[in-house]
Amino acid sequence: MKAMTRKSALAAAALMLAATGLAACSGSKDEEGSSSPSSASSPSASASASASATESAYKDKYDPPVTITTVWGVDPALKFKNGETIENNVATKWALDTLGIKIDSLWSVTDTNNAFVTKMRLAMSSSQKLPDVVTIGTGGDYDQLAQDLIDTGAFREVGSLFDQYANEKWKAAMNLDPNVWNPYTRDGKRMGIPVLDYAYNHDYLLWIRQDWLDKLHLEAPKTLEELEKVMDAFKNQNPDGLKPNQVIPLSIGFKTTMNTWMGDPSWVFGAYGTIPDQWNKAADGSLEWGSINPAAKQALQKLKEWRDKGYIPSEAALWDENKTSEPAVAGTAGIIPGPYWMSGWPLQDTAKNVPGAVWKPYAIPTGPDGKAGRHGTNFTSGVTLINKNMEHPEALFTYQNYLFENLADPQPGSQWDIGVFKGYDYDLDANGNPVYLDKIPGGEVNINRYWLVKDGARIPDAQMKALLKLADGNEPTTRLEKEVKNNYGPETPAAAKVLLSQPDISYKDMFTGPATPTMTSKQDYLKKIEMQTFNEIIYGKKDLSAFDKFVSDWKAAGGDKMTQEVNDWYKSTQSQ
Amino acid sequence: MRYLRRTWPFHLMILPALALLIVFNYIPMGGIVMAFQDYKPWLHISGSEWIGLDNFRALFEREDSLQVIWNTFLISVFKIVFNLLTPFAFAILLNEVRARFLGRTIQTLVYLPHFLSWVILGGILVEFLSSDGGFVNRVLHELFGIKPIFFLGDGNWFRFTVVVSEVWKEFGYGTIVFLAALANINPSLYEAAEMDGASRWRQTLHITIPSLVPMAIVVGTLSLGNILNAGFDQIFNLYNSLVMDKGDIIDTFVYRTAINDGQFGFATAVGLFKSVISMVLIVISYRLAYKLANYRVF
Repeated sequence: MKAMTRKSALAAAALMLAATGLAACSGSKDEEGSSSPSSASSPSASASASASATESAYKDKYDPPVTITTVWGVDPALKFKNGETIENNVATKWALDTLGIKIDSLWSVTDTNNAFVTKMRLAMSSSQKLPDVVTIGTGGDYDQLAQDLIDTGAFREVGSLFDQYANEKWKAAMNLDPNVWNPYTRDGKRMGIPVLDYAYNHDYLLWIRQDWLDKLHLEAPKTLEELEKVMDAFKNQNPDGLKPNQVIPLSIGFKTTMNTWMGDPSWVFGAYGTIPDQWNKAADGSLEWGSINPAAKQALQKLKEWRDKGYIPSEAALWDENKTSEPAVAGTAGIIPGPYWMSGWPLQDTAKNVPGAVWKPYAIPTGPDGKAGRHGTNFTSGVTLINKNMEHPEALFTYQNYLFENLADPQPGSQWDIGVFKGYDYDLDANGNPVYLDKIPGGEVNINRYWLVKDGARIPDAQMKALLKLADGNEPTTRLEKEVKNNYGPETPAAAKVLLSQPDISYKDMFTGPATPTMTSKQDYLKKIEMQTFNEIIYGKKDLSAFDKFVSDWKAAGGDKMTQEVNDWYKSTQSQ
Repeated sequence: MRYLRRTWPFHLMILPALALLIVFNYIPMGGIVMAFQDYKPWLHISGSEWIGLDNFRALFEREDSLQVIWNTFLISVFKIVFNLLTPFAFAILLNEVRARFLGRTIQTLVYLPHFLSWVILGGILVEFLSSDGGFVNRVLHELFGIKPIFFLGDGNWFRFTVVVSEVWKEFGYGTIVFLAALANINPSLYEAAEMDGASRWRQTLHITIPSLVPMAIVVGTLSLGNILNAGFDQIFNLYNSLVMDKGDIIDTFVYRTAINDGQFGFATAVGLFKSVISMVLIVISYRLAYKLANYRVF
């Protein structure tokens, strides 16, 4: 109860802040509706037309330059060249030269072992200066961090800013799924700008060694039953002459969760009609924790059977995602579930270890009742928060509008059509033709990670559209089409097509709100008994009836209460 | 007064250390109040809500808290016992090595693992102990025909592995303490024993071991304060869902619930709980050390 009153007090404070923010902006807000569409400069044009009250702060280029402070969690795999750093590189120079925006880093940290979350939490608790703009990713501990940052009240309502300053391209991209705002909405106020990502990025399919299938004269499996025949053949009559104990027919792992992105076992549950470790929409329209659905029991039985027969790694309980890719790359695994872009990384390396190895994408097999399922991906990969003390919040929109206009889907002949920064993500050869990847002197660097907002600007459906066009045999014309052809593995367009051949089997995690009180206090214990029971059943330490006991324990130990809270949240988003 | 005039330079020299102690150990103790608050970082200690003993209640209301405390206790007791006995025995054996060069080399070699971090060792152990073609299981199979043991995936074997690998990593460090004690034994005792015709084994039994016992008591009693520290680094890098019931300890549990979920008040409460128990044990062990080994700090 006490926690509740605190929450509402916070919400009230946030409301007051938002109200003052609104009042300050209302002068130029009215004009937005009538402005001409799809021009990067439209917000400023329309705003300056209303110069009667105050001149709009929004500019296409700031002179003198304005400063945006930020903080960085740097992917350890991110490379730099020419002695650059995340604080000072080709993208920050570009922002200063082209837009008059100086990106000022308060700190940066190599983001291994949750270092960014830890550093951010420490910054919160030691009352260090918080950045003007910060982007927090999704998944794992990032979600909770984003929610906690919003709760601090240090960040402002952004919905009105977005409505006022974002350009048409950005708005159209955001409107593809209005649910993207849900996680960051408090009492109807939008407190953070969702970072859009390509749709289906983490929806997975099965990658199967086509050369093995061919040598065994087998068809690709369409059902679990057929899949078992394939796995048995891979193991016991291995075409590469591997002994049965050397082969991992299906490389999956579940060290921390049954629901992940590579080497993921959740489609086995999907074949029986649920996806574990997330909130699914139940038949009656309410939200249900997927792991307690009776279908999970059948899936566990199947996984146990597969482990007993040696179809999955005997130490799958100790394997994380990257570990599952090791036998796949080494050429000792026959099947690995993973995203459509996996033929580029890591599977491209298999052929180096085993000449003649070919991975092909296949659809998720169906269960005995013809059901199939996998976990779906939300369109967002994070959230951008704006500090309430930021002097020029509109500068962020200058920056992002430019990227949505020019980077998100550059058309043939436009300035970034062949690439963004010469010598970084592309270069020109002696004849003036663009070259990419290893052909760039000094190697390619992923400049998309240098932008102020993670990955710059992405329109959710753009990449899939490009891939489907390629899959139908068309030559790439736009930059995005060329990019997916050049940067992604050879099988990516085909994989995208396979992925979209099953558009309705993706279960999205329907709960995207802030952690409920019971979640905060009970979630860890509930997940602990869940993972333990599931693993013990798969490893034969407990028989299948342990599942029923788990379900009743789960409900009694706070699961029922949590379900209630989740559904209350869900109803509150539906009524909006 | 005359005493002070003579010793003031020493008191001066102790000042920097005292200052550090105050700044880094005493002032932060004020943060203990967080244990009684629903602490929110952005509200600071002054603005966070007082919730009395709710955090402690939450600790004991969790269905698995007794199990977790028991795991911690059991694992750390085994670690304390074997971290005492192994260096004790090893130091005596090493002392018998006549070739000084060999002795020194062995001493250095067993000391080395102490410097490796558990993050690295964790990765190595997972490969090394794999039930699917790992080195240890291959050796066991080829030499003794033992079926593969799932060291990290079976609760009882997990505890065994955790204790053995910890002792392997740390016993070289403990050996040094005992070697120092051995060097302090008066050689005339051995000379006298030899005159009386005592064998090497008799000398060890009646001179070496009794001379080492006081040191063993000191080391052992002082480590009692660590009875609720079962080794976060190690367990965190090795545990998994299969061994949660036997391998989850207080520190990993606090890490998951408190650090991951941002429940700082709860984390502080658990930390305070551990500190209080440790303090009681340290007081008791200090008394014991005084009684049994005449060991005194003051």
